[in-house]
Amino acid sequence: MALKPLWRRMTVGDRLLVSGLILFCVFFLSLRSFRAAGVHLIVEQNNQVTYKLALDTDRVINLDGPLGPSNIVIEDGAVRFIASPCPNQVCIGMGCASKSGDLLACVPNRLLLRITGRSGRDLDYDLITR
Amino acid sequence: MTSSPVDPLRLERTRRYIFLALLATLATAIHTVEYLFPTPAPWFRFGFANIFSVLALYLFDFRAAFTVTLTRIGFASLLLGRIFSPGFFLSLGGGLAAVALMSLACHLGKRYFSPIGVSVIGAVGHVFGQMLLAWLLLVQHPGLWSLFPFFLFFALVAGLINGFAADFLLQTIRRHPSFSEAPTNRPTESL
Repeated sequence: MALKPLWRRMTVGDRLLVSGLILFCVFFLSLRSFRAAGVHLIVEQNNQVTYKLALDTDRVINLDGPLGPSNIVIEDGAVRFIASPCPNQVCIGMGCASKSGDLLACVPNRLLLRITGRSGRDLDYDLITR
Repeated sequence: MTSSPVDPLRLERTRRYIFLALLATLATAIHTVEYLFPTPAPWFRFGFANIFSVLALYLFDFRAAFTVTLTRIGFASLLLGRIFSPGFFLSLGGGLAAVALMSLACHLGKRYFSPIGVSVIGAVGHVFGQMLLAWLLLVQHPGLWSLFPFFLFFALVAGLINGFAADFLLQTIRRHPSFSEAPTNRPTESL
């Protein structure tokens, strides 16, 4: 394959470095798939928790940040950004979050979406506003 | 090329200025164009401009690499109209961390790493610097670091591609008369 001359250009140190980093990534990314499905979505705006929502109800939510409104959607137990006023649209590119401990952030618009798993107490409400 | 009787130290210095100006200009142009290009994911950039920081580091020294990087980020941000925005500080933090780590890797590990490895280290440094600045400026949340392996993986791919590019370019540029002189003709490091 055409990769062979490229491989030959690398020193042993390069190869060790790259394989070490790949292992690091694979290890931490695979940890994700072992986590339990999330139960709640926590919305933090400006480092303050503003909403706690159940993930089993499908809905579209409008969140106001300093740049303007960001839209998130909860669908089939997963949450994702669908619209955002931020310049690079990183948050939309982050895709879906559904597992406990997952995180979506829109840094320019100061939004942080966190998924939590089943906690000790079961909530009997589906939305809290603070 | 050096047949004229000219002070070798001055010649060396002039060459350095010219090459740094060229590298910084190319890096600025590529940085700017890369921002205007559509990318597969909105946050994903290859960071091709880092190739020129690697070149400056290998052809000259770490000060040259810092010069090229700072010039590039400053001018490209001016051109893109995003200077002093959060994105600018993220770029700056990433760029500085990348050059710092690359300089360290180049000085301490020259025997172990080729420009490819150094470029990968630079890419890792870039992600790290960006996350550190994002942490300091924008969100203080430990969950931010759980994104680290995710971004690191893409940085690794970009760093590898840039590293190969830098390696090929270095091979070519070193054949240029400015760099392929016999070492005895070159002035020794003074003060």
